[in-house]
Amino acid sequence: MNSLRAKIRASWMRLIGFLHRRPAEEDFSAELEAHIAMHTDDGLRAGLSPAEARRQALIRLGGAEQVLQLHREQRLSLWIESIARDVRYGFRTLAKHPSVTAIAILSIGLGIGANATIFSMVNRFVLRPAPMGDPTTLLALHTTRQGDRCCNSFSLPLFQDLRDQAKSFSGIAAYYELVPASIGGSGEPERVWGQAVTTNFFDVTQLHMVLGRGFATGEEKAPAIVLSSGLWRRRFNSDPNITGRSVQLSGKTFTVVGVAPPAFHGADQILYTEFWVPLGEVAQLVPGLSDQGSRDFHIVDVLGRLRAGASRDQASAELKAITQRLAKEYPKTDKGTSIVFEQAGSLPSNIRGPVLLFFTALTVVVLLVLAIAGANVANLLFAQATVRQRDMAVRLALGATRSRLRRQLILESVLLGLGGGVLGVALSLLSTRALSALHLPAPVPIDVRIGEDWRVLLFAFGLSVLSGVLLGLGPAFAMSHSRLPDALKGEDAFIRPGRRVSLRSVLVVAQIAMSVILLCLTGLFLRSLKSASSIDIGFRSQGLLMLSVDPRVHGYNADQTAQFLELARQRIAALPGVDAAVGTDVALLSYGHRSDAFSAVGEPNNQTNQTNTDLYMVTPGYFALMGIPRIMGRDFGGESASGPRNAVVNRAFVDRLFPHKNPIGQLVSGGGVTYQIIGITGNVKSRSLGEDLRPVLFRSLQQSIAGDPSLMGYTLLLHISRNPAALQAAVRRQIHELDPTMAIYNEETMEDHVRTAYFLPRLAATLFGVFGGIGIILAAVGLYGVMSYTVSRRTREIGIRIAMGARPGTVERLILRQTLVLTVLAVALGWPAAWLLAKMASSFLYGIEPHDPVTFAVVPPFLIAIALAACWLPARRAASIDPMQALRTE
Amino acid sequence: MADKKDVWQGTLALMVLKTLESMGPQHGYGLARRIEQTSGDLLQLNYGTLYPALLKLEQEGYIRSRWGTSENNRKAKFYELTKPGQRQVRRATADWEQTTEILSRFLTPASE
Repeated sequence: MNSLRAKIRASWMRLIGFLHRRPAEEDFSAELEAHIAMHTDDGLRAGLSPAEARRQALIRLGGAEQVLQLHREQRLSLWIESIARDVRYGFRTLAKHPSVTAIAILSIGLGIGANATIFSMVNRFVLRPAPMGDPTTLLALHTTRQGDRCCNSFSLPLFQDLRDQAKSFSGIAAYYELVPASIGGSGEPERVWGQAVTTNFFDVTQLHMVLGRGFATGEEKAPAIVLSSGLWRRRFNSDPNITGRSVQLSGKTFTVVGVAPPAFHGADQILYTEFWVPLGEVAQLVPGLSDQGSRDFHIVDVLGRLRAGASRDQASAELKAITQRLAKEYPKTDKGTSIVFEQAGSLPSNIRGPVLLFFTALTVVVLLVLAIAGANVANLLFAQATVRQRDMAVRLALGATRSRLRRQLILESVLLGLGGGVLGVALSLLSTRALSALHLPAPVPIDVRIGEDWRVLLFAFGLSVLSGVLLGLGPAFAMSHSRLPDALKGEDAFIRPGRRVSLRSVLVVAQIAMSVILLCLTGLFLRSLKSASSIDIGFRSQGLLMLSVDPRVHGYNADQTAQFLELARQRIAALPGVDAAVGTDVALLSYGHRSDAFSAVGEPNNQTNQTNTDLYMVTPGYFALMGIPRIMGRDFGGESASGPRNAVVNRAFVDRLFPHKNPIGQLVSGGGVTYQIIGITGNVKSRSLGEDLRPVLFRSLQQSIAGDPSLMGYTLLLHISRNPAALQAAVRRQIHELDPTMAIYNEETMEDHVRTAYFLPRLAATLFGVFGGIGIILAAVGLYGVMSYTVSRRTREIGIRIAMGARPGTVERLILRQTLVLTVLAVALGWPAAWLLAKMASSFLYGIEPHDPVTFAVVPPFLIAIALAACWLPARRAASIDPMQALRTE
Repeated sequence: MADKKDVWQGTLALMVLKTLESMGPQHGYGLARRIEQTSGDLLQLNYGTLYPALLKLEQEGYIRSRWGTSENNRKAKFYELTKPGQRQVRRATADWEQTTEILSRFLTPASE
């Protein structure tokens, strides 16, 4: 106990001595001073004057400063030299056992790669601040209404009040989040998304422009535009003289004033926007924004830059005071509204919870993978340490200290850890690239690119060193306790007589227990993907091709747009290989688009009689083409733009509003428009796969295009009997013959489109599948290693058994039984843990319970089978031991 | 030049160890004077090189040091031999004896 404390103290002192060079330096100065004093004393005794005596002493010393320097160099050189020697020796040892080294580096590499990948995602979505000036004082403001969930946008007047009154901000900017447009420049016109911002936007965000400037005061309504670096490169070949030039945006002329920095794609880090125009221009580009001045029209998002010295609490208090004042002034619109904020660029608060939970689950999983890998490597190192006992004992006997050997062993495992870290970073580069290529099922531009930056590298480095040290501790500790005489004799000095549970078995049990957890989670997500793929989406996905155009951004009015769509539809339908073509606004499964609260006309209009309904515009023939079954009534046909509005609704809509009535002919209203129901269809998945049944109302594109133009553009759906790739060019040509400048986007087959809708279950299943697979392989290898080692250690014993008449079958069973005991023990530990952890995953599962009986029933026997398979070879080897040879060894 | 220094340092280390073995704990200045005396004042020791050599021996674990009081009541750092140090003295002495013996066979005229 005392000696341990002394050791800890000694190590501590050494560390202190290294960190603060002063004491050693001062200590030596004092020693030199004493030397000079003693020498001077002798001089005095020999009759010299004090000054002369001191001078002589200094001369003989060769100058105090020089000696100090020599001493300093010696102190440093030994330290560096010994580390360098240990590193060299470490490399030599590792190179001498290439297979052990390779397996160790591969194991750690897989573990660290998995962790670095997940950390890259966490870093991208949670940790990384937005690429704007001083992220800590830049706040994103939201309004919330009493009793509602956060978060809503601001009305323009509310923003203006805030801008004029809030004193704790040095600037407050507003922006309209998503402006669709088509942009000119080189090549075919392209559809891009941008934002409309107040003129102080670039000052508040403190962005340093690559070229030109942000907007100036007075440009509120100027046709000026700031381009993103990507757009500037893609469409304008990085023209250095772009500022002052005009570009065509949705058929209108804008003058380029600046180019934003490459990393900037909007204030939040999810949307991917590529141009910015003054907010005064927004009505020109986005339809339906005419009544901007209304206080109940929430259209802009707000960023505020905290004044230097103002705290968030102050800002919060001031905002509270302002909203209370406004609530009194405008009780009708502003009562119950409060303002909350968070650091700009952090995850939107409505999705933060699930995202963090998802990352937590993933982090647990990858840590399990790393722990399993670590247990493997620790076992390998133990085996190696056993082999090297003699070598170590000799070094001890020759005078090496135990601490020196310990340091050596830990250094070796740190080298392994670093090797694994390098491999891991390389693997995570590959995996993040693969993840970045995934498509999100959303019609708006979303940025999910994941990159590696210094944070990821630092994380991987830290994890490598940490796992290296932890891995080395076990063998190093065992080594320093090995009994020298036994080791010198070549006996295994780690084996304690009478000790039945070896550390290696404990490691293997832990490893298998963790695999149980990992496999259960993996099983859940695989089952979830399977059940997701059997979800009935309610429409066909084969043989359909879709593409979108947005004539409105090319200057078409509603009538012209409808006319253009109809012409294009007819031309395309006439193409050979196209069986039919229809138009709609947005394809199903695009994460929603338009929705309104609907109620039956004649019923009292209150919360209970309303149902939130998704709206789609379609042309006649849509249901037949999409394979959506008609249950009652008829399809559209013969509607006139100005006639009474017709609607086809799905079964969920009927169940909600007309549970006991014949719905055909009934009137319903929502969003200020009344429709007559003419037909009923089967249910469809409207926004996403995981949703519960949603009421859907289909309306006539003819009738609704003028009153409620789509921001997402319009989609043509083709039923084709040919290879889609062969048709695409012909289809494009038809559209460009009508208008050569028309931008075409979202061109894909319905199958691809539906596949992107499986994004979440597929992502989860892929990640968990990969990690689970890695985990189980590592665990199997670990078990194999331990059983092999057991067999080799018990060779003599088994030899005796065979010599005494044990049959090979009996010997095999002996080894298998040991495996079985370890595995069953591990399953008994891991299974309940998995049961508890499964709850965490529940919100990401489609159509299965977190405690899915199939998964939890299949995993234990599966693992036991794997375990038995892993130890089959060692068991066979044990059974084939030749007793004569076994007894003669040693 | 570098070779010379190495040889010198090697022999200095042995002299230090041997002196400590025979005298017991001693401070740097005392060690220097004692080495000069033992050499019959044939050696002019540069005192400055003694301290790095002492540090090296300490780092190698052959000697250890602690602060104490000298015979003249001055605070000084005393060096003493460790167990590995004692072994090292024996080993180095044997090595050195062998080296000098071999060398002397070359240097003394052959008596064939």
